[in-house]
Amino acid sequence: MTTRRRLLAGLAASSLMPSLGWSSVGTPDFLSAARRADGQFVLAGLTRRGDVTFTIALPARGHAAAAHPDRAEAVAFARRPGTFAVVLDCRDGTVLARLTAPAERHFYGHGAFSADGKRLYTSENDYEAGLGIIGVWDVEAGYRRIGEFASGGVGPHDIKLMPDGRSLVVANGGIETHPDMGRTKLNLPVMQPSLSYLSLDGDLLEDVTLPWAQHKNSIRHLALHTDGTVAFAMQWQGALKDSPPLLGLHQRGTPPRLLSVSQDSDRRLNGYAGSVSLSGDGAQVAITSPRGGILHVFDVTSGAAVAVHEATDVCGIGGVGQGFVYTTGGGLVGTLNGALQRHDLQWDNHLIAVSA
Amino acid sequence: MRSLLMTAALVNAALLAPPVLAQDAATLVEGVLAQHVLPGFQTFATRTEALTAAAQSDCQPQSAELRAAFHEGFDAWMAVSHLRFGPSEVDERAFALAFWPDTKGFTPKSLTKFITTEDPVIAEPEAFGEVSIAARGFFAMEYLLYDDTIATLGDAQYHCALVQAVAADIDRQAQAILADWQGGYATSMQTPSDAAEYATDLAAVAQLFKALDTGLQFNEEARLGRPLGSFEKPRPRRAEARRSGRSLRNITVSLTALEELSQALAAQTPGVAERLEAAFAVAFEQAEVLAEDPVFAGVAEMQGRFKVEILQQYIGNIRDIVTQELGPALDVTAGFNALDGD
Repeated sequence: MTTRRRLLAGLAASSLMPSLGWSSVGTPDFLSAARRADGQFVLAGLTRRGDVTFTIALPARGHAAAAHPDRAEAVAFARRPGTFAVVLDCRDGTVLARLTAPAERHFYGHGAFSADGKRLYTSENDYEAGLGIIGVWDVEAGYRRIGEFASGGVGPHDIKLMPDGRSLVVANGGIETHPDMGRTKLNLPVMQPSLSYLSLDGDLLEDVTLPWAQHKNSIRHLALHTDGTVAFAMQWQGALKDSPPLLGLHQRGTPPRLLSVSQDSDRRLNGYAGSVSLSGDGAQVAITSPRGGILHVFDVTSGAAVAVHEATDVCGIGGVGQGFVYTTGGGLVGTLNGALQRHDLQWDNHLIAVSA
Repeated sequence: MRSLLMTAALVNAALLAPPVLAQDAATLVEGVLAQHVLPGFQTFATRTEALTAAAQSDCQPQSAELRAAFHEGFDAWMAVSHLRFGPSEVDERAFALAFWPDTKGFTPKSLTKFITTEDPVIAEPEAFGEVSIAARGFFAMEYLLYDDTIATLGDAQYHCALVQAVAADIDRQAQAILADWQGGYATSMQTPSDAAEYATDLAAVAQLFKALDTGLQFNEEARLGRPLGSFEKPRPRRAEARRSGRSLRNITVSLTALEELSQALAAQTPGVAERLEAAFAVAFEQAEVLAEDPVFAGVAEMQGRFKVEILQQYIGNIRDIVTQELGPALDVTAGFNALDGD
C-alpha cells in the first residue's frame, strides 16, 4: 500500500498538479465525516492506529466521500437527496470545486474516481423517471459534468472502481424516492435491487439479482479486494422477523453467496447493515449494524462466521492487514482486539480508504 | 433542511435528556392494543364485510350504496394503515390493500389488461389473491368506480365481476389481519421473550412508536409532498385518491388515528400528551381551512399552495414533538448512525 502511494505521489508530482499528495496531510489510511461536539460537521483523515491526521470543516452533514487516488483531495457529498458536493483540499479545507447535480438529478452520496484520477463517477437519481444514473465528471476541467449513463437499476447508492480499472460496480438499492417526498420509499412492493457491473462508458457488463423472495433486501454498500471479490451489504425492507442475511460476496461470472451467523444472531442486526469491508488481505469480510450495535465478521473462503463483536452505534469500517478498524457515533476508533482511541467526534457512516 | 436540524436536535436530546421517568412499557403496550389497534382492525373488518355485501347487491360504478361502502371501508383502512408491521406485513397484505404511490402507473395498466382480456382469474378468490398487488385493494377499486376511462371500460358484466372480486379480496385481507392480531400477535407483543419477535416490552413500545412516526411522515412527505411537488412544478394530479375526492379526507382520518395512538403512547407523560394534543388541534384546524379544496387542486396557485404547505408544516411540528420529546421519554431514541438510515 505504501509502495503504491509513493508511486502515485511521484506521478502526481511529475504532472503539474496543483494539490499535493496524501503525505501532505499525514498519510491517512481513511477519510471519514464526523460531527464535532460543537455541532460542526468535519471531514477527517484517520490512520489505522486511530490517529486523526487532519480535520476540515464541511458545510453540512455529509454522507460518504470519494478520495482522489493521488492528490490530497476529497469529494464530500451532501446527504441524499442532496444536489451538491464539494471538492476539498484536505490540507486546509479550501474548496477547490463545487459539483451541482443537473436538473432533475440528485446525488445519493457516493462517488468513485477513475484509476488515473481524471474522471469522477457519481451515483444519482433521475427522479422523474425513477431510474438510477451514474454522472461522469471531468476532474481536470474543474469537475465539469461531461455525461451520464444508466446505473442498471433504481436507487444506486455505493459505487466503486473495480481492480481492473476499466469497470465500475454499482449497488442499485432498488428503492425509488423523489426529493419532493423526502426519503419516503415509493416502490417497496415492486422494488428489485441489483449489483451492476458497468464499463466506464456505461455498458452493462453483468447484472446480479437475488431471488424474488429477497427483493426487499436493498443492496447499498460495497467493498472490494484486489482479486475482484465484491462484498455487498444490504438493508432489509420487509418484516424484521423475515430478515434474510444482509451480507453477500460476489465474483464476476459466478452466483452470489450470502453469509449468515445464524438466524437468531442475524436478527440482532435489526435488518440493517450500515457498512461493509474486506480485511486488508481479503481473507475476512465484516458488516456493521449501528441499529444493533454489532459487527459480524466472516471468513471469505468458507463463509463461516469468525466473530461477533459488540460496539454501540458502530458504523464505519475499513480493512487493515489481516483485520479491521471500525468507528462509532460515540467517537471510538477500535479493532476487534479492543479500542484504539476515543475522539471527541461522532464518526459518521463510512470509512473511505485512501489510495486502496 | 428541517431533517438536518431535526437530526441535530435529536442527537442533543439523546445526549442530554435521559428518560424523564421510568415508563411502564408493558402497561403502555396493553393500552395501545386495547384502545387503538384491536378496535381499529375490528372496525376495518366489519366495514370490508359491508363493502363486499354492497358490491354483491349492486356492482354499478355509480351505485350510491357501493360508493358509500367504499368510502367507509377506505376510512377504516386509513385508521389502521400506519400499523404496518406483523399481520399487515404478512403476504404483502398492506400493499395489496393500498398500492400507492403508483409512480409507474401499474394499477391502471393491470386493470386495463384484466378488462380487455377478460382474464378468468377473477372468478377464483384464491387465485385472484395471487395477482399483482397493483390490481387489488382500495386504489384498484377507486379506478373501477371513479376513473373516467376504467369505470366504463369493457364488458359491463366482466367489470361487475371484477368490482366484486376486488371487494372480496379486500375483505379477505382485512379478516386475515384481524384473525392474526386476535389469534396471537397481540399476545406476542405483551409477552416478550428472547426467542420471540419482541425480546422486551420496550421493543414492542419501539415498534408502536415507529408506526406513529412513520405514519406522520407519510402524511407529511407523501400525501402532501407528492401533490405539492416543487414550487416550479406542482403536481396536483399526484394527490392520493383524488379520483374519489378523498385526498384531504385520507389525511384527516389518518391524523385522527395517529393522535389516538400518540395519546396512548404518551399516557404516562402528561406534559408531552398535552403538547401533542395542541399540535394536532392546530393541524385539524388547518385541514378545515382546506375543506374547500379536498383534492389539493390549488397547489398550482399561490394561495391554494400556501394552505397546503401550512398543513404540511403543522404535521412536521407534530413530528418534532414525537421525535424530540415523546421518543426520549419512552427511551426509544437511537444513536447518530442508527438514526441516519442510509
